[in-house]
Amino acid sequence: MNSLRRISLRPIPFRPVLALIVILFFLRTLNVPMRVCAQDAAIDGVISYDEVNAVAKELYCPVCPNELLSDCQTQACIQWKTEISDQLAVGQSPQQIIDSFVRRYGDRVAHVPQDPFLRALSLVTPFAVALVALIIGARTFLRWGRLARRSPIAADAKHDISANPIDNDYRARLERDLEN
Amino acid sequence: MIAEIGLIALGLTFAAAIYAIFASVVGQRLHQDRLIDSGRNAALLTFPLLLIAAFALLAALLTQQYQIAYVWQVSDPNTPMFYRITALWGSQQGSLLFWSVLMSAFAFVALLVNGRKNRTLMPYFTAYTMAVLVFFIAITLFMENPFDRFWITPDLTADSGVPAYTLIPPDATAPSPALLASTARGLNPLLRHFGMIIHPPMLYLGFVGFVIPFAFAMSALASGDLSSAWIKATRRWTLIAWLFLSLGLLLGGRWAYDVLGWGGYWGWDPVENAAFLPWLIGTAFLHSVMIQEKRGMLKTWNMFLVIFTFSAVIFGTFATRSGLVESVHSFAQSEIGMPMFFFWSSITLVSVTLTLWRWRQGKLRDDHHFAGILSRESLFVLNNVVFIALTLAIFWGSFGAPILSELLTGTEITLGVDYFNAVTVPLFAVLYILMGIAPLSAWGATSAIRMGRSIITPLVLTGAALIGAFLLGASSPGALFGYGVVLFAGFVALYETYRGVLARRRAHHENFATALLALFGRNRRRYGGFIVHLGITVIGIGVIGSTLFQVETQRTLLVGETIDVDGYALTYNGLLSGQVTGDGRIMTIAQVSLARDGQALAELRPRTDFYPEARGINSQIIAGVHSTLENDVYVLISGFETINGVEGATGTFKIYINPLINLVWWGGLILILGTLISSAPAETVTAADRSRLRTARARPQMGSAMESPA
Repeated sequence: MNSLRRISLRPIPFRPVLALIVILFFLRTLNVPMRVCAQDAAIDGVISYDEVNAVAKELYCPVCPNELLSDCQTQACIQWKTEISDQLAVGQSPQQIIDSFVRRYGDRVAHVPQDPFLRALSLVTPFAVALVALIIGARTFLRWGRLARRSPIAADAKHDISANPIDNDYRARLERDLEN
Repeated sequence: MIAEIGLIALGLTFAAAIYAIFASVVGQRLHQDRLIDSGRNAALLTFPLLLIAAFALLAALLTQQYQIAYVWQVSDPNTPMFYRITALWGSQQGSLLFWSVLMSAFAFVALLVNGRKNRTLMPYFTAYTMAVLVFFIAITLFMENPFDRFWITPDLTADSGVPAYTLIPPDATAPSPALLASTARGLNPLLRHFGMIIHPPMLYLGFVGFVIPFAFAMSALASGDLSSAWIKATRRWTLIAWLFLSLGLLLGGRWAYDVLGWGGYWGWDPVENAAFLPWLIGTAFLHSVMIQEKRGMLKTWNMFLVIFTFSAVIFGTFATRSGLVESVHSFAQSEIGMPMFFFWSSITLVSVTLTLWRWRQGKLRDDHHFAGILSRESLFVLNNVVFIALTLAIFWGSFGAPILSELLTGTEITLGVDYFNAVTVPLFAVLYILMGIAPLSAWGATSAIRMGRSIITPLVLTGAALIGAFLLGASSPGALFGYGVVLFAGFVALYETYRGVLARRRAHHENFATALLALFGRNRRRYGGFIVHLGITVIGIGVIGSTLFQVETQRTLLVGETIDVDGYALTYNGLLSGQVTGDGRIMTIAQVSLARDGQALAELRPRTDFYPEARGINSQIIAGVHSTLENDVYVLISGFETINGVEGATGTFKIYINPLINLVWWGGLILILGTLISSAPAETVTAADRSRLRTARARPQMGSAMESPA
């Protein structure tokens, strides 16, 4: 109770803090963004490297092992990037270009398979496994919860000792932790 | 002669290891101590024998014995001395030998340290470590022998290459040394980097280090001594293995950043992931094993974790060396894939079966039950579940889905960054949250009110830091959430240490530094662990900064032209081409000036290195980097043009601004420091201190029990 009384004697200056936060937020919105994005290098309708790389980043090199097309420096990859540039220049969307690469070189060039079955298999499986684990985990925790309610230790835990951050309870816990 | 010495040493190691297995198991079964000791001595002998084999190969590399196929494959007359030494692990055969040397070194030290302590476990420990060693020596000796030599046999036709043999064929003659020297391949350019000196040894030390906890766990299962003896014996070994594996992963990231030329350090490549999997399971084990030590719980779970950590090590080795996956990091496809697959599957199956057998016998029954959902053990279990979920998700993305797809539909697929970000980021966020909450809970049970009160200070500090981050430009909700969970974990680690110091100061009236040192002295693992958490926090800040706020652009510049990227002015000043170095490398160097707000910062020299003598990959792109704690300006030259006879009249550059990236490396160093503190031997408690402790514990006031043994 002593510590609670201390807290009530020194109330947090809520309104000034709130005002400060609002002012800071306002100043931040006026502020010029600190992070400047790379300037778009497209000049007079010419497709820029950055536009090409944005698409090439979504593709793996069809010949190099696990290397993004955007990072690959082989002659073949440079030609593929030129091809992407040409396709962008004639108005194809990035997705159309990715699809065309997948048609020619297979699903291995995409980050995630474009084939609906393989895509579902790839993406749904980990979440399905996670869901099963979650259900098992939840059931286990519920069982432990039932056991805990019958346990005398849990009853002790409900007993509130003090809000003081270094009270006896904390010291006891620390002591238990310090025992090797 | 050198090859013969190496071969004989390898053969003797193989024989000694087999004998050690036989003598240890039979000796234990028949209760013959002399046979057990003999087995132990044979196991100890494997280390010096393997050292002789490794030194023989090193001598062959240094003295340029190109008749040895391995030397011919990884070096040439231009290779500097330095890279001749690192070539020892530069390719499949040498690295398998190196792996065996390290594993026998671990077994050697573990046998010496524990030999007299755990008489029940040690014979089985010897048998298990030697069984693993026998497998690796067998594939080195019979399939990937680093001492194979080129021989010209009478039946050799003109159009076939000169084959390499382990033993000298009849009527064979040695090829001309001059011819061999002139055709030698040389080390892969990607491996000619400082990081490659220590990255593979660290990674291998991490991998083979896990053989010790695994062998102790299996010994406990085999012997039936499932007391806490095996846990106590493996505690420090697990930390040491984890330390080396962490170092190996960090150095691998640094090598990728410096050498692979894509501006990043982690590409979710299958081989990177294969090394990350044992780290994840090993980390889960490090946490979970504390529950067994403190509360005698999760005995079966811990067995499974230690088995699957080692299983992941062997799987990673199999995946990297068998040609199962394609990667810039993997070794060439070889015949060892099938034996490694059988070894991996059989060792996992046998270990799991042994665990289930003991479990059915009731020997792995827990001493206590969980007493509360908010207890530390429950939160550690949750942490374990998330670690395992991460492991499964990464395994699925790297190996499971691609292999299954090929088996079911015949279609090759790759799961890339999009998949890994979608699946792993939420799990990492949960891990950071648990990393924050768990240290605030108590063993046994914690009330929600008490937990809520403990959380207030770290939450307020996190809120204040987020306001600071927002003002500095981190305005995206994703980044703020990421920074929030990461910082919360770090503030809890600091707050818990501070609370401990405060409690001690109140109890003993010590100054802050004395109280802090005394606290670390009492339980290095706990406070070293908090430093590790701080390191992980710093790494997390670095990862978020360098991932979410990376700026990337590619431009072609004329000589003298300047571009502005994220507040930096980069001016291309020209090209220096045809710079030949001592090792025969031809460098093409671009000269780039870097300035900010009108102030010159640095002269960057991005370059390409061309190795005219190298086969296969023969060039390397090296970035010019201006590195500060705030960010890295990372510039690559991706091409240049000659106009009107002026070479390099234009240069094409890829420019990355990587904010906070150095925090990844600094966080790694903090993590290493924390692990070293955690794994340091505990202070010796004197009789006087023990007496003082007993008196203090007898007092009702718990604060006085925090006496220092120092």
